[in-house]
Amino acid sequence: MSKKLTVIPELCSGCSICELVCSIRHFGIINPKKAAIRVMTTYPHPVLRMPIVCSQCKTPACAEVCPSDALRWIDGVIRLDEDNCTSCYKCVEACPFGAIYVHEDCDLPIICDMCGGEPECVKHCPKGALMLIPEAALGEARRINNVLSYTQMKEIEYYEKGERKVIHYAEIGKEEL
Amino acid sequence: MSLKSGYFKKRLHADLSEGSAKRLPLEDTFIEKYIGGRGFGAKLVWDNLKAHSFKLDPLGPENLLVVAPGPLTGVYLPASGKTSFVSISPATGLYGDSSIGGRFGVELRQTGVDVLSVIGRAPELSIIFIDNSETKIIPMPELKGKSCLEAEGLIKERLGTHTVHIAVIGVAGENNVKFACVNADWGRNAGRTGTGAVMGSKNLKAIVVRGYRDIPVYDVPGLVAETEKACKYLEEHKYFKMWQQEGLMNVIEYANEKGILPVHNFKDSVFTKHDQINGATMLDHYKIGDSACFSCPMCCSNICLVKNGKYTGTVVEGPEYESCAMLGPNLGIDNFAAILSANRLCDELGMDTISAGNIVGAVIEGYEKGILSLADLDGREITWGDEDAILDLIQRIAQREGIGDILADGSRRIIETWPEMDKVILHVKGLEQSAYDSRPSISMRLAYATSDIGAHHTRAWTIAKEMEEGQNWSDDEKVDTVIYHQKLRPLFDMLGVCRLPWIELGLSERHYENFYNYVTGKESTLEQLLELSNDVYDLTRLINVRLGTSRKDDSLPYKAWATPPLTGPNAGRVIDRDDFQKLLSLYYEKRGWDEDGIPPAAVEKKFED
Repeated sequence: MSKKLTVIPELCSGCSICELVCSIRHFGIINPKKAAIRVMTTYPHPVLRMPIVCSQCKTPACAEVCPSDALRWIDGVIRLDEDNCTSCYKCVEACPFGAIYVHEDCDLPIICDMCGGEPECVKHCPKGALMLIPEAALGEARRINNVLSYTQMKEIEYYEKGERKVIHYAEIGKEEL
Repeated sequence: MSLKSGYFKKRLHADLSEGSAKRLPLEDTFIEKYIGGRGFGAKLVWDNLKAHSFKLDPLGPENLLVVAPGPLTGVYLPASGKTSFVSISPATGLYGDSSIGGRFGVELRQTGVDVLSVIGRAPELSIIFIDNSETKIIPMPELKGKSCLEAEGLIKERLGTHTVHIAVIGVAGENNVKFACVNADWGRNAGRTGTGAVMGSKNLKAIVVRGYRDIPVYDVPGLVAETEKACKYLEEHKYFKMWQQEGLMNVIEYANEKGILPVHNFKDSVFTKHDQINGATMLDHYKIGDSACFSCPMCCSNICLVKNGKYTGTVVEGPEYESCAMLGPNLGIDNFAAILSANRLCDELGMDTISAGNIVGAVIEGYEKGILSLADLDGREITWGDEDAILDLIQRIAQREGIGDILADGSRRIIETWPEMDKVILHVKGLEQSAYDSRPSISMRLAYATSDIGAHHTRAWTIAKEMEEGQNWSDDEKVDTVIYHQKLRPLFDMLGVCRLPWIELGLSERHYENFYNYVTGKESTLEQLLELSNDVYDLTRLINVRLGTSRKDDSLPYKAWATPPLTGPNAGRVIDRDDFQKLLSLYYEKRGWDEDGIPPAAVEKKFED
């Protein structure tokens, strides 16, 4: 089953370790600007840190615009054929997420290759904000969060051996829906 | 082994009076001796002082401002995002530095320079934009009076990009408030010693950086292996998760329990409402996100939002311990939302929370004791916990309105104006004291007294150790620990990394010797690096001595020896002045300085070339 590299922006602290380990893995150097992942930061409204990385789309916009057929979806990963790439960067502009990068030292566009199935960024993220999960599990976190944030949820606070605890329960049928 | 990598060997020097910026070569001897960060800063400031025969106005165009990351800044290792801002401090008139986290310094290095120095004064309010290889000085008078955040937004708009990192000053810096800070990327501040005022005096609103270069590292695989070991240690530490969640806010409970929390301008040392302003309260009701400095797994910074009440909508990166303690308990504020609001206000005005908290606290106590009259306060009463009056006073300091004009000049001017204020304000050499009450800890008092920038805990922080050891700790050990801290902690600032993985989670300092060697290709030992750091300590002492410092300035504020805390486990305790002088003499002796605290003449020779 294919796995997806997913991002949970709520957990991201913006430390950029993902960028560092990506540049080390692919170029053997330290340069966050040569990574295939980049943390975008906005503040103060909204405060958000969101790593942008290839989503491995099954109908990839980048491949569609590539005039030399250098981008192909092979075994669940978009691969760049370095010999055929003409460095026109049409893919960079076509990606709906801006997840393909350009650096003046490199002719080729920089795009995530999933590190052969074990992405370094996932391994090194100290917050668990990057995850590799089976495709079929996509959306699970959102589904469960949606359940937990159900608007009719009530909470009770109590103390057990001096420690504060909270129980949530759904008061179904007692409130006007 | 000689230096093989780790540096671009370039200094970018901008002269704002001339409107010029050029890249100058850095010699290996300079790089190897001063390492980077505050080491580079101290040497360049020293050379500039000598060129001005040791007479310069900290707010004059002749004061050199140095912005210096280190050889480890931006490298893959825990918390490598630090950069020092160094100059002669307008607050103390002596050597000053303050470091900033986040990503600004990383981006500065990626433009291909190891250090930026700025001199002169721009004819109108300007920014320096270092865009990879190119440097431009761009007049932007429209930024006048703008808050740090507004200015950041306007600069990004004007330059047409969001991918720059900006170190900016607020109104406080523009108005030369002597404890104005430099703010970067919204939530980061080089808080102490008034480097924001130095930028203001130069008509320099912001330094904007965008760089793309590889960060030079000699042995990447070696470095990665060392870093993975260090990160594994940190992630397995029992307090790692707690650290990620609360960051420095966990210190509030510790300080309150030990009776070292500043409360009511250090009148008390425990706060009865501590549970309303501690880390747990923050987590339960205010925290909405984490923020980390570059390459740091610990992400100690909190992002908080006020969701109800009169401060609704206030969002701030912070608070950390110092800001929370100084703007909360120290002013009698028990409402966490109000602390967040004061923290945000200081960030927007570009003002140091530690000095602001000290000065507002001293004003409240001064008024309470009748040292200050209602007329002195421009007819506006101020008391403990009066949130509106406190926020208003912070504003007036930044704007230099009424009494704010005097307060903006810091402790020394306040004491000159109202001599009795000496009894309530805590400072050393003109720099207001950090948020650790040192009356139960004579070694911490020694640390404050002998810190090269004034009463700040960054050089040595021995209070926790002394609270643990109590009376069993000999004078020798106390002095040795202070001196060891004064070697090691500034070394982190020279390397361009954060000290918290070491001080808070006990990451061995031995790692840093390896980090340094993998980056530079040298084979230095930690002991050699500490000696170089110690030389820089001698140099900053020399700077201060040439500017008039001697034993009399390595002093205790009045409260430390004459006014004990009223409450808490240390109620009634003060520092004995004779004991302190004895300890100070021992300190000088161990440092090889004379009885008056002056280094021997031979020391100066070390810094000639």
